[in-house]
Amino acid sequence: MIERTEPDDAPAVAAARHTLELDGRSVAFERGDTLLEVARRAGVEIPTLCHDPRLEPAGACRTCLVEVSGQRRLVPACATRAADGMKVAAGNERVERHRKTLLGLYLTDHPHDRARAERGAPNELLDMAARYDAPRDWGQMTPKREARDGDRNPYIHFDAATCIACARCTRYCDEVEGVTAITLTGRGAATTISTVDGLSLLDTTCEMCGGCVDVCPTGAMGEKMPLARAAKPERALTKVRSTCNFCGVGCQLDLNVDPDADGGRGRVVKVTSPPPGTTTNDGNLCVKGRFAYDFIHHEERIQAPMVRDASGALVETTWDHALSVAAKGLLGVAAKHGTNSLGFVSSSRCTVEENYLVQKLARAVFRSNNVHQCAAT
Amino acid sequence: MSKHDAASVPDRLREAGGLLAGVARQVAREAGVPEADVYGVGSFYHLLARPDAKVRVCTGLSCLLGGAQAVLDAARAAGLPVEGASCLAGCDVPPAVLRDRRTLPLVTVEDVQRAGADWRLLRSAAIGASGSLDVAGVAVAADVAQPEVEWKGAVGPADAADGALALDLCGAQQALGAAFHRARELGPEGVIAALEAAGLQGRGGAGFPAHIKWKGVRSQPVTERYVVLNADEGEPGTFKDRECMLRRPDLLLEGLAIAAFAVGAQECYLYLRGEFEVPWGIVQRAIDAAHASGVYGDIRFHMHAGNGAYICGEETALLEALEGKRGMPRLKPPFPVEVGLWNKPTLIHNVETISCVPGIVQRGGAWFRALGRTEPGTKLYCVSGHVARPGTYELPLGVTLDELVAEAGGYIGTLKAFSPGGASSGFLPATMRDVPLDFGGLGKLGSMLGSAGVVVLNDTVDMRWAAAQQLRFFEDESCGQCAPCRIGTRYLRESVDRHARGEVLDGPLTHVADVAWQMNEGSICGLGQAAPLPLTSALKYFPADFPADARRT
Repeated sequence: MIERTEPDDAPAVAAARHTLELDGRSVAFERGDTLLEVARRAGVEIPTLCHDPRLEPAGACRTCLVEVSGQRRLVPACATRAADGMKVAAGNERVERHRKTLLGLYLTDHPHDRARAERGAPNELLDMAARYDAPRDWGQMTPKREARDGDRNPYIHFDAATCIACARCTRYCDEVEGVTAITLTGRGAATTISTVDGLSLLDTTCEMCGGCVDVCPTGAMGEKMPLARAAKPERALTKVRSTCNFCGVGCQLDLNVDPDADGGRGRVVKVTSPPPGTTTNDGNLCVKGRFAYDFIHHEERIQAPMVRDASGALVETTWDHALSVAAKGLLGVAAKHGTNSLGFVSSSRCTVEENYLVQKLARAVFRSNNVHQCAAT
Repeated sequence: MSKHDAASVPDRLREAGGLLAGVARQVAREAGVPEADVYGVGSFYHLLARPDAKVRVCTGLSCLLGGAQAVLDAARAAGLPVEGASCLAGCDVPPAVLRDRRTLPLVTVEDVQRAGADWRLLRSAAIGASGSLDVAGVAVAADVAQPEVEWKGAVGPADAADGALALDLCGAQQALGAAFHRARELGPEGVIAALEAAGLQGRGGAGFPAHIKWKGVRSQPVTERYVVLNADEGEPGTFKDRECMLRRPDLLLEGLAIAAFAVGAQECYLYLRGEFEVPWGIVQRAIDAAHASGVYGDIRFHMHAGNGAYICGEETALLEALEGKRGMPRLKPPFPVEVGLWNKPTLIHNVETISCVPGIVQRGGAWFRALGRTEPGTKLYCVSGHVARPGTYELPLGVTLDELVAEAGGYIGTLKAFSPGGASSGFLPATMRDVPLDFGGLGKLGSMLGSAGVVVLNDTVDMRWAAAQQLRFFEDESCGQCAPCRIGTRYLRESVDRHARGEVLDGPLTHVADVAWQMNEGSICGLGQAAPLPLTSALKYFPADFPADARRT
């Protein structure tokens, strides 16, 4: 390894790599990088609302516009490829004025009140408007976007008033999930998100993955269950990274825990995605992982091994005792009816390794080839 | 799903009667396109999204000056299924009314009352039995052989010498193939050199040098290339492409064929706005004749109808619409020259631009260049509003407003203001009547020649009212993709309306300058960038029409 003696912006290094000038300093980049990627790696903040690294850049929210020398117009950093020698200003007076006035304009078409506009996920637009000191006194218009009230699906709620038509949800549904259950609809000030004929998501191709909820920057796409239970906004919850146990894929998810609930024992009130690019599932979840967390605190959930007593009633016991009872029972059946009378069915909630162990148990210990897994066909 | 399946969606929706309940799902099944996508497309286009409206009264500025509001009110009173419409490209024959997809000129309150409650019976009495139309006292010859041609507008000059005009709308149609034959003699490079020598600028609005586009497409490594015709004429005040198609489809097809030959394309797509039912018939017949004769070899022409969306006149929105999607402009770069229709190199031109090509090929670039005054060529100027004979006049590029209006029979009343290039060019005061109407000069004044849709306003017009009409147009026609335009067009219109209602204490116009700046800086396409101009220019040149403005208190 060659010891690096020169600072990053020294000419000798610059000649060997691709560089551009960002806010006056030289920054290296790889071919194909967008200005947004370059800036984020260099620690320069460029705000975005419609951007998601999993999606084709749309350049629609306009928050990421920056100035590039020689270009008459501001350019979207999310969709502009870095080029050698480019001079980029991500925070000069023009760009700052742009951010302020753009966000001020957004606020004329968006509720300012956090209690109203942030019932679930953090509202990135309001955060951004505060961060860039956007004017809040330009007046407010009544949103023209039509809500899709009465969608009887149990999970996904849409609040048209807080929608900013960035199309992250529709593009995610299309480009990542390949489902295309939702679409931009209408046009102009009335542009919003809908399904075919405004039907309930249950009557569309929707698979209820909840990706639309995850990618929405304002919480316009929200989750119904926490709303119905008046759960605290996401900001007040503690995120606990965990592994989804509904199947063997091992998707990472964040359990959102209300630490004060249940008399201080804490309660999982929703599940959210880790940021894209940080886990093997890239922030993607399915309906089970995202919405089927109710079992965690369900009153009927079995939390300890149980065996039947002499009267046939289930009684809690230790794992050692429960396993020995099961072993005895199985060996008894084998002795009486032969090993072929035994069958083992594993669960799709097990990992590959666990499934391997189940078949090993069946074949090597109980001498039976009757082994199956519920997801196999 | 092939590209043609997706492209068929708007036509299928139209054939199914528009976006009625269940239609999107049915079309999705037939076309193999996701049903949400089909619904999203249908909901984007006015003519598909609201299938119940059978009569649409143009509420463009020129039509409002011509009595559109009374016609709209009468239609509502009569119980017709009516709504207001954005500009129908009939500003010279106001008010224009769309009956289903047929544009009727000079519709009167009496016409509406005669129809009663049955929209199918709506006729314009201005159209005589022979199909001829008497436009502002000028008899226009009926085309008896083409009964579906209900009307043509006034054009001029009628008596130009041979070779004095680039297009000559009054001239006789030529047999197809002569200029194309000449183009083949010159070869692609020769044709492009002639264009360069001519100095032909795009006449759709931007004034971009045509030969650069042609060279650009020709030099692409990808050999699958397309030529696209932009006949989505919709800039308020503009109706010249309509006349080109009605009168000189020969020039149009010849020009397209030459373009295809020069850039190495075989397929030409013609996108006509959906309201151009009559021009459609004329062009379609010319295409049928061209295909049957084989005069252009392997070059094929395909017609595509729009469905009511001004934004599709923006070239990349037009490409999206041709591909069967919502007509939302693409980010540029890349430009269509590199990544156009179905991501292939594409040459897109406006009707008038492409119609100039045959003359240039036959008579040479120097001939064309010399026709202009301050910039090359003659230009079709549309003039409407307070002039005696609204119409389309072909004059040297760079004439003044006074010269143009003289051609159109003179002013009605005293000139107060004018828009030199449609709503997007804002308003200029009467003191600028001597400014050459060209691309470069008007641009320097913060205005633009645009599509040369000149709207003349006399001193009876309140400029706050006029600005509000233009703002309403942009609000109705914003595609909604980017926030500056989606929110800004509405914000400005509401601000002016509130000002007009006298809500001045809290200063409804206080933030106009900031919003206008943001729309210009932040919008993706020209619609949002130009949309504030009617208001900012009216405020600049006609402050007296905004009384008690809180900005000055």
